[in-house]
Amino acid sequence: MSAGEEQEACFTVGAELGLHARPAGEFVALAGRFESRIQVGCGDEWVDGRSILSLLSLGARRGTLLRLRAEGADAAAAVRALGELVERSTPAKTGKT
Amino acid sequence: MKLMEILEADAVILDLGAQGKRDVLAEMAAGVAKAQPRIDAEQLLEVLLEREKLQSTGIGDGVAIPHGKLVGLDRLVASFARSSEGVDFESIDGQPTHHIFLLVVPEHSGGKYLKALARISRFFRDPLFREKLSASATLDDLIGTIRDADEKF
Repeated sequence: MSAGEEQEACFTVGAELGLHARPAGEFVALAGRFESRIQVGCGDEWVDGRSILSLLSLGARRGTLLRLRAEGADAAAAVRALGELVERSTPAKTGKT
Repeated sequence: MKLMEILEADAVILDLGAQGKRDVLAEMAAGVAKAQPRIDAEQLLEVLLEREKLQSTGIGDGVAIPHGKLVGLDRLVASFARSSEGVDFESIDGQPTHHIFLLVVPEHSGGKYLKALARISRFFRDPLFREKLSASATLDDLIGTIRDADEKF
């Protein structure tokens, strides 16, 4: 894989309450495991995939289409793993937000 | 949704005396319960601490958005507290937390919780907004800064 690799794909938010605090936190934690730069697109806005504040500001409800863009050596793996997290319907075991 | 519609101005704290997460949440919960007698401070503190156990709501950039669900509440209730010194909120970036926006959510809040969270985050991700809050000398200044942002967007 080259260092300049770029990957982009669309995913639908699966969590019942949307991309709220906990899934956003999980997203940022997971994004931090990759070297690639991660950006999340919603409508005509792109935000930093490593900032919980930025992710929450999107107010992405269940069913919202998000674009994930990764740039770096592990871009493909990052988009795949983060996309799975976005589409997951149950972010955790409890019903707490 | 406007933040001023849910913010309990009487519960806002200009400068926190508490330092640790539990004490900060207790101080804020007491303020909310005083402004909203329907809310019990002990019960609120308990749900907030339960939520913190799952994952800290200290989300970085000096900001925390602690929140919890209360059965029997009919609308969202919010409070805000500032700490000039910074408190240890077990933040994900390990940095001290200066701005704490507390959100109390009814059991069935629908999309309102997510909307409130989005609006709070939109304001707080702006470094200028955070600087303005940090520079506010009085409670009126502090609330005025939130009101100004609320009216602009």
